Amino acid sequence: MKKVFFVLITFFVNLNVFALGQQNGVDTVTANAVHSAQLPNPIMVLPFIILLALIATGPIFYKHVWERNYHKISIMLGLFTVGYYIGFLNDFTSVEHSVTEYISFIALLTSLFMASGSILIKVNFKAAPVTNVLFLLFGAVISNLIGTTGASMLLIRPFIKMNRERMKPYLIIFFIFIISNVGGALTPIGDPPLFLGFLRGVPFFWVIQNVFSVWMIAVFLLLSIFFLFDLSNKKKAETISAEAKHPVEVKGAKNLIYFAVIIAAVFVDPKVMSWIPSLHPLPFGIREIIMFSVAVISFKTADTEILKANEFDFAPIKEVAYLFIGIFLTMIPALQLIAHESRVYSSYLTQATFYWSTGALSSFLDNAPTYLNFLSAAMGKFGLNVNLAADVKHFITVDEVYLRAISVGAVFFGAMTYIGNGPNFMVKSISEQAGIEMPSFFTYMIKYSLTILLPIFTLIWFLFFRG
Amino acid sequence: MYTLNEVIEKKLNGFCYGNRILLPFKAQLLKVVIESDIITDFSRSSKGIQIVDQKDFLDLYFLEYKRLSDTLSAYEAIKIVLVEEGKDVFDWNNHRKIALYLTEKHKVTIEETDADILFIE
Repeated sequence: MKKVFFVLITFFVNLNVFALGQQNGVDTVTANAVHSAQLPNPIMVLPFIILLALIATGPIFYKHVWERNYHKISIMLGLFTVGYYIGFLNDFTSVEHSVTEYISFIALLTSLFMASGSILIKVNFKAAPVTNVLFLLFGAVISNLIGTTGASMLLIRPFIKMNRERMKPYLIIFFIFIISNVGGALTPIGDPPLFLGFLRGVPFFWVIQNVFSVWMIAVFLLLSIFFLFDLSNKKKAETISAEAKHPVEVKGAKNLIYFAVIIAAVFVDPKVMSWIPSLHPLPFGIREIIMFSVAVISFKTADTEILKANEFDFAPIKEVAYLFIGIFLTMIPALQLIAHESRVYSSYLTQATFYWSTGALSSFLDNAPTYLNFLSAAMGKFGLNVNLAADVKHFITVDEVYLRAISVGAVFFGAMTYIGNGPNFMVKSISEQAGIEMPSFFTYMIKYSLTILLPIFTLIWFLFFRG
Repeated sequence: MYTLNEVIEKKLNGFCYGNRILLPFKAQLLKVVIESDIITDFSRSSKGIQIVDQKDFLDLYFLEYKRLSDTLSAYEAIKIVLVEEGKDVFDWNNHRKIALYLTEKHKVTIEETDADILFIE
């Protein structure tokens, strides 16, 4: 642990040593723009830090002011960075690359969000510890097929409904731990950071092949602890709808087809299948066109009664879209500088460093950019460029444990706080819309994540990433 | 003045202007959920909702919002647990759950919450 803090501290201290426009030396590989001859001034990391700090504090300390202004702030900070790159560094490539990646990212999230909002699942069985464990396990598995966002949106309402007579905050907290975060660690569809890795060249099935054993242990431990919590809940579920004919009813089942289309579309990429035409210089491809089309069609054909029952609102996806355009643009300098720094400090960077560093930052910052930052750092250690798919593939063959540590750290630690991963806040918000008093930001951490998650994550470090 | 049963049976509307909602019956509010805000403090010092008890109707001001129509989508409800005026507030069976939907021309649809709408009292 000391090593981790040492590296983090020296990294941030060393940032100040750079001067504007320092020439990229022989041993420097930038994360973006292969042809770029200049590193950005470290001060340009500030818009990224400011934006992440505002995202962390805004919804908690000045909610309504933040709600009214977050989109302006995000775009303004993003444009500031764009202006710097184009105006001062004359570097279009880095900006173009980020915009392309953003469009892919938002296309996936939007299509999953819209398709899941048009489906209503009704469960008509009594909640009990065993059924809840099976439900959460099911959620953990399908979050790899429809994303943690899709699975959270789809399953939180039935989960609340089946537990309505015995509702206590721990039920929602474990839902966030298992379905909104840890569960989705097996495929690039599962969690946004893994999708970003896929876009950069990590093979689709690499994650499940390399993370499955870690996933199994984490999910088993979480479900076991949940079971003990749930056993102590003495309130019994009473209500089962008298009209219910089946234990599970799905309304809007046609939208499950849309999920299948979205998943298939993930592979519609010239890098995966060479016969797929590239639409370059447009900043999107056929995959993104398919995903956005699915989003529009699923909403246009949705049953209004289902939308009403799901209390459908564009606000969550609008928020993600606005915030992430800011994040993707402002994080360009951070990516480039981290790649450079990791070469300087490469001898200190171990798998444990990457596991804890990615995890620590993913707990408070969004885990998608954190994953990219540390992937960039790990590749920089070997003189490789995160922007080149061939380099990413080569990096995996060098030593897969680094990418495994980063993947696990980014996905798992997203559960540590409400702000660690997008679905956490959505689930909290839906639960509160249902009238459930959720724990505050700090209570969540102190009472649940530090006492339950941290010991599990420490055990995982001990078993897999101690080196 | 209408009773809540009459309002629901006759499908009478409330109205919404800016952050103000007018409901055509009188009641004691117990809990209001708007978006992710859960409001249970209806005292004068509270910044959540100001309740103005009019002669024949209920007047609610959502103080944290400028225009409710800017905040709530067509599918989102304001959910309220209430006890109608004149009924015993201490009798659990008198606690009713309603959902308010903003529609066009400032109208507010008032519905008793059905099984699909999640609302934990």
